[in-house]
Amino acid sequence: MTILRLIVSRTLLSVLTLLLVSVIIFLILEALPGDVATRILGRDATAKALEVLRSQLHLDQPALSRYLHWLVDLLRGNLGVSLATGRPVADVLGPRIVNTLLLSLLAFVIYLVLAIVPAIIQATHRGGIIDNAISVLTLLLLSLPDFLLATILLFTFAVAVPILPALATVSEASSWQDTLRAIILPAVTLAIMMAVYAIRVLRDSLIEVLRSDYVRLAELKGLGAYAVLWRHALPNAIVPALNVTALNLGFLIGGVVIVERVFSYPGFGTLLIDALQLRDIPLIKATVMISAVVYIAANLVADICAILLQPRLRAGQ
Amino acid sequence: MKSLMEVRDLGIAYGREGGWIDVVEGVSFDIERGETFGLVGESGCGKSTVAYRLLGYGIGNNTVRTGQILFEGSDLLKVNSRALTRLRGNRIAFVPQNPTTALSPGMRVGSQIREMIAKHRALPDGSTIESRIVELFALVGLPDVSRRYPHELSGGQQQRVTIAMAVACNPDLLVLDEPTTGLDVTTQRQIIQLLQDLKNRIGMAMLYVTHDLALLAQIADRVGVMYAGQLVEVASCDKLLSNPAHPYSRGLIASIPTMEHSTARSRGLRGLLRRDQIPAGCKFEPRCDFATAACRSTAQSLVAVGERHSVACMHWSDINARDARQTEKPNTTIPARPDSKPESVLSVDDLTLSYTKPDILSRIFSTARPPVARNISFDLLPGEVMALVGESGSGKSTIARAISGRLPPQSGSVKLDGKLLQPTLKLRPPEQLRQIQYIFQNPDASLNPRRTIRAILERPLIHFGIEAEPTTLETALENVGLHAAYLDRFPEQLSGGERQRIAIARALLVNPKILICDEILSALDVSVQAKIIELLKALKQQHSVSMLFISHDLAVVRQLADRVAVLYRGELMQVEDADALLNSPLHPYTEMLLHAAPDLRKDNYEPSVPAMPESRSTGNKGCPLAGRCPRQIGTICGDSPPPLQATSGGFIRCHISTRQLATQTFRQHRDRSQI
Amino acid sequence: MTLTTSNLRKRPVTPHLDIGRWRAMSGPFKVGSVILVVHAIFAVVGMFWTPYGFAQMATGIPLSGASWQHPMGLDQIGRDVLSRFMYGAHIVLILSFAGTILGMVLGTTLGLLSGYLGGWFDEIVQRLVEAMISIPFLALALVMIIAAGPALAGEPALIVLVVGLVYAPRIARIARAAAMEIATREYVAVAELRGEGTWSIIFREILPNTANVLLVEFSLRLSYAPILIGALGFLGFGIRPPTPEWGLMISENRNLLIASPVTVFGPGLGLASLVIGFNLFTDGLSRMLGQRPVVGA
Repeated sequence: MTILRLIVSRTLLSVLTLLLVSVIIFLILEALPGDVATRILGRDATAKALEVLRSQLHLDQPALSRYLHWLVDLLRGNLGVSLATGRPVADVLGPRIVNTLLLSLLAFVIYLVLAIVPAIIQATHRGGIIDNAISVLTLLLLSLPDFLLATILLFTFAVAVPILPALATVSEASSWQDTLRAIILPAVTLAIMMAVYAIRVLRDSLIEVLRSDYVRLAELKGLGAYAVLWRHALPNAIVPALNVTALNLGFLIGGVVIVERVFSYPGFGTLLIDALQLRDIPLIKATVMISAVVYIAANLVADICAILLQPRLRAGQ
Repeated sequence: MKSLMEVRDLGIAYGREGGWIDVVEGVSFDIERGETFGLVGESGCGKSTVAYRLLGYGIGNNTVRTGQILFEGSDLLKVNSRALTRLRGNRIAFVPQNPTTALSPGMRVGSQIREMIAKHRALPDGSTIESRIVELFALVGLPDVSRRYPHELSGGQQQRVTIAMAVACNPDLLVLDEPTTGLDVTTQRQIIQLLQDLKNRIGMAMLYVTHDLALLAQIADRVGVMYAGQLVEVASCDKLLSNPAHPYSRGLIASIPTMEHSTARSRGLRGLLRRDQIPAGCKFEPRCDFATAACRSTAQSLVAVGERHSVACMHWSDINARDARQTEKPNTTIPARPDSKPESVLSVDDLTLSYTKPDILSRIFSTARPPVARNISFDLLPGEVMALVGESGSGKSTIARAISGRLPPQSGSVKLDGKLLQPTLKLRPPEQLRQIQYIFQNPDASLNPRRTIRAILERPLIHFGIEAEPTTLETALENVGLHAAYLDRFPEQLSGGERQRIAIARALLVNPKILICDEILSALDVSVQAKIIELLKALKQQHSVSMLFISHDLAVVRQLADRVAVLYRGELMQVEDADALLNSPLHPYTEMLLHAAPDLRKDNYEPSVPAMPESRSTGNKGCPLAGRCPRQIGTICGDSPPPLQATSGGFIRCHISTRQLATQTFRQHRDRSQI
Repeated sequence: MTLTTSNLRKRPVTPHLDIGRWRAMSGPFKVGSVILVVHAIFAVVGMFWTPYGFAQMATGIPLSGASWQHPMGLDQIGRDVLSRFMYGAHIVLILSFAGTILGMVLGTTLGLLSGYLGGWFDEIVQRLVEAMISIPFLALALVMIIAAGPALAGEPALIVLVVGLVYAPRIARIARAAAMEIATREYVAVAELRGEGTWSIIFREILPNTANVLLVEFSLRLSYAPILIGALGFLGFGIRPPTPEWGLMISENRNLLIASPVTVFGPGLGLASLVIGFNLFTDGLSRMLGQRPVVGA
């Protein structure tokens, strides 16, 4: 019962957070002091362009009613109409989201392997050469900006050793082999960027857990190293890494913006950039809201997993 | 016959920057089959390091430099790790210090025992693993809790689980590392009793590591006293307690507050163990009252001085002789209290307290929490020390919080000098804040680590605008027995006892009327405790300050308190003059507490059996003790609140009349003395 | 088990970081410090002297690779990449520091206050912080830049503001957690019992004891600032051209990746080495202060 109550309360909190996100986005884009249209289009914009924007955004109405309209529409699933194309935002977004989902899924699978395996090796060989080597490597990778890592991978595997396509242009006509070949470089980039954080957290938390009283007692019970690691250490060490994974999903959303841009992949990230460049306010609002939903949902799932993994948390703080 | 376990010349060192530091040197002892060997010493003396090594386990980065650990003749330091895992848990089992952190948090306790049995294939013929686990739980006095997670059990229950786990494979030797340190007195005694019982039934040997000699007196056959990594005395438990030969053992025993002697013997231990001040010779020399020049340079080693009794001190026989001449009766006269009743400085009237959780969601979901303390009333007279005793969770500190203004009461009032105190700190004028000073339990956390002692002491003076002489701070330090050079140090450079002295000095600097001491001794070693008690006694005279002394330790209370208030589950059970209360407790709960306090002689403690365990207080209406009380007279105890009965020095709350209680107490005492 | 209790004979050591003792410092910290010092010198030199002007066009044949005259090659319109790179160094550093400091000031104030006070204030701040963090930081930064409009876009002040606002809630969360932990310490209770005011307690009792956590947090955020600013430049929402911000340069020269990779990887290496320097510094600092940096965006 308590578990259910905890999950319900976390979910309610998430919904509240999401509501606040919508307020923040609206405030930033449409409710800062001064004329919104001029601020967005600039002082050199023609009077006509300003007028069009004002009418499209219903700027004659008070901010509160505009916000409520938008919110009600959102709840009904109506994301509005794109200014630049005149098409419903949902139609524009749909295929892009599918593409990005495909990319993210592949990236996530690679990420799991890249994160867990080195961390276990490090924690069990603490202080050794392998541990230090992986530490240095993660620190170096951590220091590489994502756009640079993407560019390096692109240069290496598409230019210097041309085994993979440089541009990840896919369409509905592409075969699945082509699609996979196209997205492998962006996916690897994303996976590496996420894994470097997780490796460090998982390693540290594993080391801490391996030093804990309960792991010591498990050793003193005469359990073998393997049983101690898998039954007593990992289930408890994974919890902090779960949180990082959730944070990483947030990063993934930011990361796709860069990586899709580098590889010209027609996904959600490139769409956000396009929307920003065209100052397509309804599209911007929708894309940012969706990325917040993904982030919040990921954190919620991580929280619930943590509660299920650590019975102690169920008792409340 | 060969001993079960023989430790020969064990030397262990820690690896640190700049080389190795010896933590254990030349330790030798043996444990016979079925014997309980106690290892006692102050924190940092290396006793746990030795204990872990008996399982072939090294804590942190320590390494064995010399010696052997022979278990049934084979050296555990030489066998491979495979063989070690076969021994651990199976032949030599371990009971940890803190069961709360030692049980795997995400695993049901049944599974944790199961994997132990499965690993060592230690299932007795004819029983299933489930029935064996239930049997083990029954053995340690638990119902079948195998489906529970560790956090769902109390500390005492958790420790029973670890003990059940330890005996699951019928080991030959049980290594216990301070197994009762974190527990309440009554729980502590139950665990000790359980261990004794198990020992008789299973016949295993035990190595019991502790800092608490009084506990060891209850269970150990022989005791080894450790100091700075060396054994300084090994003797049978009775011999050690009645006739300690080493000056350190003598000091250790003398500094234990017991119920027997209310005035602590002055021959406690002076100074502290300082690893950097250890001379080449006898390590105890800097703190020894009997030291001679030769001690500093001559290393001491254990020498047999009697049957199964050895001592590492070359002067032991001289000391014994000298001591025989010096024994004199301690002065037991108690200063008479003035007859006229003075006005109370602090009066607490019908206080009811509860905590409300701050965050919104729990407010939406959870219902109102039951109060932590109910109907608390007492007075504190000028210059008086009132002790507030009870088990952990009884609400002692909560009451102190309310008096100090950190917790606004739900109802009731607190008066200082007849003037009503505002419920919150923000509303109280500085003058009132100054009058009540608070000293906390944990000296590590009560001093800001980023400020010098000078800044820490100066701040209250500045804050309250108190004129200070240039020498005020120096004098304040000297009053608590510290050198003025400490002013420019940071808290982390001080020992726990020294920090607690600073906290006391800080409180007294502003000249308060009332000092609230919240378990201020419980984080300190015994020898340090004894010193602080002495200091408090002296300061009480000097400053004529009233004290509210919160403690769970009745022995400490006896030495310091004028009156005692006994608290159980947030309700005052009894308030009485200290001597009267400790000599004839009257209230069943007070009796239980006194009974459980360990003494230096073996007392064959048996926990009092609840008379009517099923009849509990319903809906917080009845007596909180109902269901646990050994003298419960009927369902009335659980149904209606116990009446207040006046006694010579205070009151008691009980359904049984005081006269009846007094005679029953008498009978029980007589019964016990006849056994 | 601890070994020592107190001792009076040992040299009094302060619990503060002793910057003067180079030998006692960890390896990563030293390497990081050296890298950062080199970058700082480079930035100062670049402010006053570069081989060519950073906006000077046609200094050589466009698209030609590395040569002695142009070690980092030339870009599409014949500007010397090394000169631009050198001039850009101080811009990256100043923007990073200014943005991070702004974020620290805002975040620390909010976090300490909210962690110490608790109650409804904390509740509101926490929800707002949570909401801000839920918007992926790059998206939040880009939206803020768009909202500022073309008039302000490309201004250094806007970049600083954006970095500060993106960082503030993240720093506030760390500061709050640290303050909450310290607030339970008994020395804080002692100060409260004395009747000290909120600000006095925050500055005297809490801030000094959260300093280690905050220092590591500052260092960690500082490490990421060049990446964030670079990403904005890379996407074309950063400092206005032709000011040579490194991310912008990488973006501009990406078209030359096949013809003259050095024009991309030169500035890239510079950016990466700066971040490596910051990261090593942070890593070493956190180890020396006994803290563990909370990684993750």
